[in-house]
Amino acid sequence: MYRLALNMLFGDRAKLAMLLCGLAFSALLMAQQSSVFFGIMSWTYTPMVNIRAQVWVSDPMVEQVNDAKPLRDTDLGRVRSVDGVAWAAPLHTSFVQARMQDGNFKLITLVGIDADTFAGAPAILTQGRIEDLRLPDTVIVDEWGAALMGRMTVGPDGKPRSMPLKVGDTFEVNDIQARIVGICKVRRAFTGGPFVYTTYDRAKGYTLGARRTLSFMLVEPQKGVTPAELCDRIERGTGLKAWTSDTVIWNWGERSLARNTFWWFWTNTGIPFSFGTAVLLGLFVGIAISGQTFYSFVLENLKYFAAIKAMGAGMGVIARMLFVQAFTAGLIGFGLGAGMAQGIGRAMIEKGMPPFVMYPQILWATFVLVLGISFVSAIIGIIKVSRVDAASVFRG
Amino acid sequence: MSPLAHTIAVRASGVDIFFGTLENQVVALQQADFEARRGELIMLVGPSGCGKTTLLSVIAGTLTPQAGTVEVFGQRLDGLGQEELTAFRRKHLGFVFQSFNLIPTLSVIENVMVPLLIQGRPYDEAHARSLAIIDKVGLKGREDGRPNALSGGQQQRVAIARALVHEPPLLICDEPTSALDKDTGGHIMELVRDLSRSPERCVVVVSHDHRIFRFADRIAEMEDGRISRVVDDPKLLDATHL
Ligand SMILES: Nc1ncnc2c1ncn2[C@@H]1O[C@H](COP(=O)(O)OP(=O)(O)OP(=O)(O)O)[C@@H](O)[C@H]1O
Ligand SMILES: [Mg+2]
Repeated sequence: MYRLALNMLFGDRAKLAMLLCGLAFSALLMAQQSSVFFGIMSWTYTPMVNIRAQVWVSDPMVEQVNDAKPLRDTDLGRVRSVDGVAWAAPLHTSFVQARMQDGNFKLITLVGIDADTFAGAPAILTQGRIEDLRLPDTVIVDEWGAALMGRMTVGPDGKPRSMPLKVGDTFEVNDIQARIVGICKVRRAFTGGPFVYTTYDRAKGYTLGARRTLSFMLVEPQKGVTPAELCDRIERGTGLKAWTSDTVIWNWGERSLARNTFWWFWTNTGIPFSFGTAVLLGLFVGIAISGQTFYSFVLENLKYFAAIKAMGAGMGVIARMLFVQAFTAGLIGFGLGAGMAQGIGRAMIEKGMPPFVMYPQILWATFVLVLGISFVSAIIGIIKVSRVDAASVFRG
Repeated sequence: MSPLAHTIAVRASGVDIFFGTLENQVVALQQADFEARRGELIMLVGPSGCGKTTLLSVIAGTLTPQAGTVEVFGQRLDGLGQEELTAFRRKHLGFVFQSFNLIPTLSVIENVMVPLLIQGRPYDEAHARSLAIIDKVGLKGREDGRPNALSGGQQQRVAIARALVHEPPLLICDEPTSALDKDTGGHIMELVRDLSRSPERCVVVVSHDHRIFRFADRIAEMEDGRISRVVDDPKLLDATHL
C-alpha cells in the first residue's frame, strides 16, 4: 500500500513540484540563514583563529576576546613561573587611528606580537617575511585591510578605483611611521578594521600614552600538559583568567574564550534575534506552503481515501500512507534545499562575503525541522481523512 | 435451521436510520426489511430520496442503523465496532460506485490491486491476481495506463475488477450504469450478472435505470424509507414503468 501511496504522490507532478518547492525553500532559508548567522558569529572570535595559541591568559574580568582589559607587564613573569608553562608571550591588541598618506584617517586593529617567539603571527604571508618585523618602523598588513586602506586613483578607463597598499608603502600611527614589509592572509573580524601586525614593543610606541599595553598572554604548555590542565594551574597560581583556544562553540566542558565570546555576542547584541527571525520565517513559510499544498493534495484525494476506507482500510493504514507521502516529500525537499544552501554557501565562500559556516548540526536541525513540517502536514491530512465517513463514498 | 437459511445472503430487518438533529430530522429508513439470496442479482429501485443508498450503506457496513438487525453471509453487523466493521468490509465486500472512484494518479492495475494490498497481500501476488481479473473484464493490455485514458465503460470495468479481485461474497453497486450509455451499461450489467451466478456470491444493485432492470433476478421497490414490494419477475416491473 505504501508503494501505491508513493505513486499517488508522484502521480500529480504539479502538486508535487509545489510541495517540494515549499519544503526546499524553507530548508534553504533555515540552513542558509543559520549558516550565515554562525558565519558572522564566528567573526566575533576571529582573533582566536588568526592568533594561534594553545592557552590565552587575561585579566579575570575579561569576558570576550575583543574586550581586552590590560594586564601588568609583571604578570608575564608570574605566568612564566607556573609549573607546566613552556613559554609565555605578550600580546597587544587595540583599535587605533592610522593616518594615510593622502591625509585620511582609518581605524585599524593593531596587533603587537612578541618579537622573540613571533607567537600570534599570521599563518600565511603572501608577501614578505615575518622576520622583517624586526627592522625599524615595520608592519605587516592583511590583504583585505590593504585594499581597504588603499588610496583612490583614476583608472585607465577614467573611473575611480582603489589602489591597495603594497609592500614599501607607509602610513602613520600617532605620528610614528609604519612601513609595510609584508602582506598576510587572515580571517576577517566582526569588530575593528584592518589587521596591522607589528612587534609588541613597537606597538607600545604606537599607542604612546597607554600605560598598560599587555592585552593577553599567549602560553604554550610543556609536553604532556593539556591546555585545560595548564589553565587550572595558571588560574590557581596567579589569580588571572586562563582560556583554551578551542573554537568549537558547543564544547561545554572546555573553558574556551571563543565560546565565551560567541555567547557574549549572543546575549549582548541583536544579531541572534534578527537571524532567529529569518529562521523562524523559513519555518513558517515551510509550514504554510507545504502544509497548504499537502492539505490540498489530501483534499483532492479525499474521495479516494474515503473509498479506500470503505473498501476496508483502517485509519492506521491510511495514516501510514499519509506519513509515507509527507515524509518522502520532506526528504526530497530537504535534499534540494540543503543542496541549494550548500551551493550558495560555496559561492559565498569563494566571494568571501558574507561568512558562511554550515555546521553539520545546522543540517541536522534543518532536517529535523523539515521533517517536523512534514509531520504537521501529515497530521492535518490524517485528521481530515479521519473525519470523512466511509458511507460518503456513495454520494456524488 | 430451515433450508431457506442456507440460501439467504443478506437479511436486514426493522432497520431505522435518522439523519440530522431532533428538530430537523430526516427519516431515511423506517422499519426497513430486506433480503437477498445467494447466487442472485437483486436490484433496489425507487424514487430519488427514498433511501436506496442508505440501505446499501447499512448492508455494506458503512452506516450503523439506530434500530434493527443486519446479517450478511451469517455475520451480524449490528453491534460491531468500527474496527470490526472495517475488517468485515475488507473481507466480504466489493464496491462499484456511480462515479467509479478510480484513483487518477495510479495505473489501472494499481487501482485494481488496492483491496488486496489493504488485506496485506504481498505486492507481487496482488499484481498477478489483478492482471488475471483485468484480463477477465476484457481490458488486457490496458493495465499500465491511467484510468482517465479509458472510456466510461472501460473505467467501470476497472472498478468491477477492483470490486472482485479479492473474491468478496457480497458485491454492492450504486448506480453502476448511470454514467454510461445504454449499450455500455448493458455490457457492464451482463458482466455483473454472470458474476452473481455462484452460491457463494450475492450482488445488490441500486439503480434508477429501468433499461437494466431486465438483468435482475428480483427487484425490490422502495418508497419512503422501506421496501414496499418485491417483484420476482422483472418483466412485470418493466411494464409498469413503461
Ligand atoms: N448523510 C446524510 N445526512 C442527512 N440526510 C441524508 C444523508 N444521507 C441521506 N440523507 C437523506 O436521507 C434520505 C434518503 O437518502 P438516500 O441517499 O438513501 O436516497 P436515494 O434513494 O439513494 O436517492 P437517489 O436516488 O437520489 O440517490 C434523503 O432524504 C436524503 O436527503
Ligand atoms: Mg442514491
